[in-house]
Amino acid sequence: MKKILKAALLATFSVALISVAHADGHGWKPSGPIKMIIAFAAGGGADTQARLIADDIQTATGWEVIPEQVTGKGGVNALVALKDMPADGTAIAMVVTESLGYNAAASKGSGIVPSGFTGLTTTAGFQMGVVAKADKGWSSFEDMLAEAKNGNLRFGTMSPRLSDLAFLLGEAQGVEFNIVQVAGGRAVMNGVQAGDMDLGFMAGIQRKGVASGDLVNLASALSEPLVQTPDAPTFADLGVQFNADGYFVFVAPGGMDPKARDAITAAIVEATKSGQASGMINNAFGGAVTIQGAELDALLQSDFESASALMAAVQ
Amino acid sequence: MVFGGFLLGITVGATPGLAGPMAMAISLPILISVFGFSNDALLPVLGFLIGIMKGATVGGAVPAILFNTPGTPDAYMTTLDGYPMAQKGEAKRALRIAHFSSASGDTFSDIVLVVCAPFLAILVERYLDLPEKTALLILSLAFIASVIGGSVGKGVISMGLGLLAAMIATGEDFYPRLTMGQSSLAEGIPIAAAVLGVLILGEVFKSLEDLHRTTQSNTMSQVASGQSSALSHNDLRRLLPYIGRSALIGTCIGALPGIGSTLAATLGYTTAKRHYVTAKPDNAPDFGEGAPEGIAATEAANSSVSGANLIPVLSLGIPGNAAAVFLILAMDSIGGFNPGPSVFRLGGGIGDSVMNPEMVMVFGIFTAMFLANALNWTIGGIFMRLVGVMARIPKNRLLPIILFLTLTAIYVQETSMFAIWITIFFGLLGYVMRRVGMSPLPFVIAFILAGNLEATARQAFAATGADPFFLLKSPIAFIFIALAIFVVAYNLRRPLS
Repeated sequence: MKKILKAALLATFSVALISVAHADGHGWKPSGPIKMIIAFAAGGGADTQARLIADDIQTATGWEVIPEQVTGKGGVNALVALKDMPADGTAIAMVVTESLGYNAAASKGSGIVPSGFTGLTTTAGFQMGVVAKADKGWSSFEDMLAEAKNGNLRFGTMSPRLSDLAFLLGEAQGVEFNIVQVAGGRAVMNGVQAGDMDLGFMAGIQRKGVASGDLVNLASALSEPLVQTPDAPTFADLGVQFNADGYFVFVAPGGMDPKARDAITAAIVEATKSGQASGMINNAFGGAVTIQGAELDALLQSDFESASALMAAVQ
Repeated sequence: MVFGGFLLGITVGATPGLAGPMAMAISLPILISVFGFSNDALLPVLGFLIGIMKGATVGGAVPAILFNTPGTPDAYMTTLDGYPMAQKGEAKRALRIAHFSSASGDTFSDIVLVVCAPFLAILVERYLDLPEKTALLILSLAFIASVIGGSVGKGVISMGLGLLAAMIATGEDFYPRLTMGQSSLAEGIPIAAAVLGVLILGEVFKSLEDLHRTTQSNTMSQVASGQSSALSHNDLRRLLPYIGRSALIGTCIGALPGIGSTLAATLGYTTAKRHYVTAKPDNAPDFGEGAPEGIAATEAANSSVSGANLIPVLSLGIPGNAAAVFLILAMDSIGGFNPGPSVFRLGGGIGDSVMNPEMVMVFGIFTAMFLANALNWTIGGIFMRLVGVMARIPKNRLLPIILFLTLTAIYVQETSMFAIWITIFFGLLGYVMRRVGMSPLPFVIAFILAGNLEATARQAFAATGADPFFLLKSPIAFIFIALAIFVVAYNLRRPLS
């Protein structure tokens, strides 16, 4: 125990030293404590990730970071809260790309559009798969499909966008799913484990279950194959022209000072690569993915625009 | 670690306004930053959390008995008999009874957990599908509303208010419902604010008014002068049937996912009350007037949930109450443990070693639980008696402290002034409810279960392919619904005593 503690202390200390040097290079400092809005329920994987990043930034740069939960409505509540805060680097939020995409497009009254925010960086991607329990006896998507033709299977999803995708998947394959929308990926996994649902979307949480043989990735809901099950077909292979590509992303209010943007982005990226957060991200989300700058702006804008196409497709 | 968590748990439980889950919520991030994310970290962290969980269940009885303010929602029924006993100068005796029943209920439940966790959970899950779960929740609410308090009507109103409050800004749509354009309400009403407001602030307001009316500082109790506070064998023999019955009820309820200890305490208490009427010695006090059996029944029931609660947690990964939620969160954030049926599989598992490492972990957790039990039996009692000194604090000093602690606890948790205003609003609501003789408990339980009820109902509806009669199609669900209607109707017809 003592050994571990010592090692941990030493590691944190050396990381702190390296990063202090790194952050100083940018020559920017926040004018006060940074409020970090977290759009996820306290204690979950996403929340833990955000809090560890906050910790790492604080140790590395000495800036004071205060995490605060603003949950609900798929991240839209958090964005509404962030929108009118000062754009001087003292307010940032962690949401998912879907919050600024489909969810923003679906909640028109909230006035949330990607151009109203400054994207900082993504931290990790989703390994979104269509997952079923192994003891269903399905080893591939076709096995599941054969049974879906006999009767309506229950398909668990965790957001309206994913419900739309599940519907389109059924349509493309000529079957009808009973789509059960629950709150969060963990609830889908619970439902599938307990037999309340036959299959469902899981965004990386299935990793251990698949490794131990309890769960099976039937398909990848991404534009690319899943890292863990590269043989599973993608949504494009299955005749669905939309996908569930998505990332955890840090954003700030629109019109942020580029210096502040660069400094905070660098601090977050550093945390996802070397801090405590990096261990957690590797463990839970299969490694850091940091898309920033113009590339991120384009990603957010195209997500927002394709949302209406997806909504039109399910009408 | 278990020891540290246990002491913290008792203290927290014994402090009015702080509850075990809250302490667990605050300790989890601290623990993780101390121990890191390696697999070795899991046991110490879980040990600490289990310590808090157990300590808080025992400790929760302390403020309930001494100050008439339950430290945890499950201890509410303890106030009914505990506080009258304290007023009669029997505070120490009441604490001893609470400790004894709590510890025995807990131990019983842990034994059941170890023996039948895998079988029971899988059986429960196999027979209860989404429509049945919805029906079961409706049945629990109907039962609570009609059994607690003197009047079925008031119980149902109290429950309805709880459901209404929980509806604010929840649901699946992208706009927050029922907020009347208030952006501060867009996240919904924080559970802690509503529950602590109604239960604790409501009581504080009422007591303050009582104090003001009687205009004398009514010192709480003169602790056990002359009378022996030790429990004789005779006492124990009298209490044991009540403890046994409640422990059984608590264990069964704990094994059902999503119901939790408050219901167990209520059921334990009401069942005991019914038996007590026939078996009571002539000169003994009635339930609600300081009957030791009341304390025993409640404490045994709510403590016996904590072990059985881990049955659905470990074998299915589904939490039964707030404490279990934090245990799952800990397993989840640290990794190396994936609650689910595979946990109980011999060999294989996640690693390729001879023994399933997850199974080893589970037995580590069991060991931690029994360690906590041992602590419970030994130092738990001494500690509780120590805190018993607090009974001498006069009420006019104590009430402001409780008020302050409660509001601080809420601010710590929510970090927003708005939550404080909401708490005070619900405090006033709780005060009004008490003044009109309406029990606040159905409100609290309805508030806690509402989200679950709505979600399960929505899911059941979707899962049955949008069948509007999903609640009546399966025989089990139909029986639950029929029972729910029957419970309310039966209690309506029963003449009020």
